Amino acid sequence: MSEFHELLENKPGKKVLLLANEAIARGVLEAGVRVVALYPGTPSSEIGDNLTLMAPHIPNFYFEFSTNEKVALEVAGAAAVAGVRSMMVCKGPGLNVAADPFLTLAYVGVRAGMVIVVADDPSMWSSQNENDSRYYALMGNMPMMEPSDPIEAKSMLLDAFKFSEMFELPVLFRTTTRVNHTRAPIEFEEIPVLPHKVQFQKDPLRFVPIPSVARTRHPWLLSQIEKAREFSETSTLNSTEGQGELGIITSGVSYNYVKESLAQMGIHAEVLKLGITHPIPENKVTDFLRRHRRVITVEELEPFIETHARRLAQLNSIKVEILGKEQGYFSKVGEYSPRIVMEALCRLQNCNTPINWQDIDKRFHGISDIPPRPPLLCAGCPHRATYYAIRTATRGKAIYPSDIGCYTLSIAPPLETADILFDMGSSITTACGLSEVTDQDVVATIGDSTFFASGLPGIIDAVYNQHRMCLVVLDNRTTAMTGQQPHPGTGITGMQKEVPAIDIEKVCKGLGVNYVKTIHPFESIAGLVGEIREMVKWARDNHSPAVLISREPCALLTAADRRRQGIPLPKYYVESETCTACKRCLNRLSCPAMYVDPETEKAVIDDNLCNLCGTCVAVCPQGAIKREEK
Amino acid sequence: MNANNHNTINIAITGVGGQGVLTLAEILAKAALAEQLNVRVGEIHGMAQRGGHVVCTVRIGTDAMGPIIDSGTADLLVGFEPVETLREIHLIKKNGCVLMSSHVQYPVAVSMGTTEYPTHESILQSIRGFTKRIIDFDAMDLAQNSGSSYALNMVMFGAIIGTGIVPISKESALRAIRESFPKKFEKINIQAAEAGFDRVKSCV
Repeated sequence: MSEFHELLENKPGKKVLLLANEAIARGVLEAGVRVVALYPGTPSSEIGDNLTLMAPHIPNFYFEFSTNEKVALEVAGAAAVAGVRSMMVCKGPGLNVAADPFLTLAYVGVRAGMVIVVADDPSMWSSQNENDSRYYALMGNMPMMEPSDPIEAKSMLLDAFKFSEMFELPVLFRTTTRVNHTRAPIEFEEIPVLPHKVQFQKDPLRFVPIPSVARTRHPWLLSQIEKAREFSETSTLNSTEGQGELGIITSGVSYNYVKESLAQMGIHAEVLKLGITHPIPENKVTDFLRRHRRVITVEELEPFIETHARRLAQLNSIKVEILGKEQGYFSKVGEYSPRIVMEALCRLQNCNTPINWQDIDKRFHGISDIPPRPPLLCAGCPHRATYYAIRTATRGKAIYPSDIGCYTLSIAPPLETADILFDMGSSITTACGLSEVTDQDVVATIGDSTFFASGLPGIIDAVYNQHRMCLVVLDNRTTAMTGQQPHPGTGITGMQKEVPAIDIEKVCKGLGVNYVKTIHPFESIAGLVGEIREMVKWARDNHSPAVLISREPCALLTAADRRRQGIPLPKYYVESETCTACKRCLNRLSCPAMYVDPETEKAVIDDNLCNLCGTCVAVCPQGAIKREEK
Repeated sequence: MNANNHNTINIAITGVGGQGVLTLAEILAKAALAEQLNVRVGEIHGMAQRGGHVVCTVRIGTDAMGPIIDSGTADLLVGFEPVETLREIHLIKKNGCVLMSSHVQYPVAVSMGTTEYPTHESILQSIRGFTKRIIDFDAMDLAQNSGSSYALNMVMFGAIIGTGIVPISKESALRAIRESFPKKFEKINIQAAEAGFDRVKSCV
């Protein structure tokens, strides 16, 4: 919604309402960053969504949607080694993909500032796990900062680039969903002019970590981190506020919950807010522990700060009670809120919470008739047609390895075509493993963007090792789940340049797949069912992988196109006289645009929601679903 | 509640993915910022949106820091759909105000016959267990009369201003709408907001 032009305005002092991810995109400009590379991942997606729109208008700036996170980190890492400021962005699980270059990058270091933004997702609003990426900072010995809100997301980003250059190390910039997806008033600062191309200065004895080089770099890294710790001790990013007997150490979004809770309960406490969480300011934390008899640590997910506090208390023989996750005051699961902090404080102080939450919970759980409304495939989603056909062709008896994208929603009834999932690209490789240990047919599904990001090594494995598996590529011409970003199959780059698209069919054939076909699911559902039967038989007969590409643009793209063009298309409707109220359409497709008329029990199509895919027409045994004449 | 939180108005907005809940939250917050007020918006993107239930928070006032509105702390609960309003009723403060559109959008589980949609009276009855201040009207009808079902969120925007709970003038609200949408949708959106405003103004 926010106009990208607004983020490009060089008007210092202007205050606008921005999502933290938009503030980070703006921060890229204000920090004079020359290169940003990323693969989209919620909750970080809007950073790239804004940068791709801004990129063509910023002189000497380069932005790319990389193939995956490992690629992105290497592209951006090389830029910082060459001597220009760069940034890589990913979600928590994305950093796992980039872990290999990440751990070596700290050894070689960078010549210009580099920031790696990682967005963790406590409560897993849109992720497959809630891994705590802060441990990468420890493992890789990379400095880390944690902003607590959208305002800090920009201001601290500028600090992170300076910090990075001071110690020649990339900085891990760790956010969480409730930072990324919060809006707040943000003040613009000046935009500097970006440098043009630089000359790469060779220094292989630093940048090529063969063992003899790496052996010199590890002690260097440790000495840099020690210097960074000294800086961390006096940095204003690690500061205390308030006074009181009780001490609280916190970081990130939890800081807001602590402040709100103390104000609401009228409790006096000294709060140590850590903006730099690696290297942790050991002396500052130690002094803080000495000042208090009891210290609470408030942080989502793992006891990262808590463990540091316990370590420092033990090292310095401090008699202090540290209360966090270890004694069960706080959970390692899910995101926090002021309520969670207030409940812990009340448990500690033996008092009642300012709001009687137990009573609210009791009354709320007494309401029994709230029907669930989980997320599901959109009305008109081509995946619905493809999954309906897969399920029909295999009678629900095959194994259906799934992957990361909207299509994982096919786990829900009645499609139920998601049986196993680990990570990006695992549909293909788990299908390889399953086909070796069972006699069942295996039909895997993967999206087009995921296919390019992590699918190719799996295809090669399937071809070379002759795995009897079927793969349906759900090619909806976009990275749909994260908000319609382009990928190598779309023909548009992050710089908004039109380039030749990479053809999935050609890629599969080039990798040696002998059975590759492309179909369009909305052309004929019966035809699609037949194609899947044929593919399954072929894979079984030939003991080799077979690929079917099901190509149809994402329903959201189609709907947006239609709205732009403004041409009303003929609508679908259920002919009431012909409908026998058998509910087959509803029970087989679970389309959100269809419902039952409470009086007649017959199916109805909601005009406002229908995306005109016509899949229901093929599913109705009576031929009762029709389309208006033009 | 403690005096410290008196100057923060908590508004929770709930509905079905695709109804325009996020857009409403953003415009409401822009209007607040235009009134020189401190504001925070909490959103959830991605998986939560795909036709599933959506909750958004808008917090206006000097003490608003984090994005979260806990159970029992919303001054105003705005529901785009009856069952979605009920799903978040625990958020409402004692004597808080519920603003609900009565137009039903059936969840797929109901269409498939695996569960039933509660009657309107039963929904209202459950809501009354939390607050008696309920404004219940068909916002979809007003949106369609204004020219498009897509304007549902602007009907709700006008309705929010109509309650008088939020410190935003009608003028600032209408200006935020004009500044946020392409010109060609302006007339419908303004008309929708006016309709929502008038409808609610008459019951407060």
